[in-house]
Amino acid sequence: MRRYEQIYILRPSLSEDEINDIVENTNQIIQGENGSIISNDKWGMKRLAYPIKKELQGYYVFCDFASTPAAVSEMERKFRIDDSVLKYLTVKIADSITEEGISAAQTEAESKAKIFDDETGSAENEAESPDSMETKEAITVQADTVEDSE
Amino acid sequence: MAARPQKKLFSRKKVCRFCADKELHLDYKDAKTLRNFVTERGKIIPRRILGTCATHQRQLCSAIKKARQIALLPYSGTIQG
Repeated sequence: MRRYEQIYILRPSLSEDEINDIVENTNQIIQGENGSIISNDKWGMKRLAYPIKKELQGYYVFCDFASTPAAVSEMERKFRIDDSVLKYLTVKIADSITEEGISAAQTEAESKAKIFDDETGSAENEAESPDSMETKEAITVQADTVEDSE
Repeated sequence: MAARPQKKLFSRKKVCRFCADKELHLDYKDAKTLRNFVTERGKIIPRRILGTCATHQRQLCSAIKKARQIALLPYSGTIQG
């Protein structure tokens, strides 16, 4: 079993039921191959950085799961056919994961989800924001000099 | 263009911020932090300016490219809100 992370973007014009249908179908492909889902997160509507298929917003769904490579190629095949899926990205996180690893990751994902709900932003962003602000100013100053020299 | 002492400016010693801080590793999903390493036009800032080490610059680049693929960062153009 390999551990994967997958993000797929759905059309914004879909209704709640259709979104849940698509999520359910993809989860069933994983479970059909005896895989296990570690976490399933819907990020909701977000503004896209560039228009995809003429759409400016998209509904992001994040899925962390462990399964065989065959399940992943099946999911991607279905995404390619489906019109309502704008983009997908599957990333391999680990080559092999044991059952204990899966259950450990599941509990970790649940606790992370609770933290997310409690705070408005993610915990990582808050920890990094004071540092990143200072460095951002430094970088923009240097970036300007780079662009000027270009 | 005026002659700038570019070699002197950029060859100062700078510590790789990821090696020094041991912050949480960059995730392609984290568009807010990744934006710090990208110019206003959306280009990746080179290593000689950022001061990162080679390994972390490679990981940073691949994270930015993945984020571009799922439209969390633009390929080019100004980064809008």
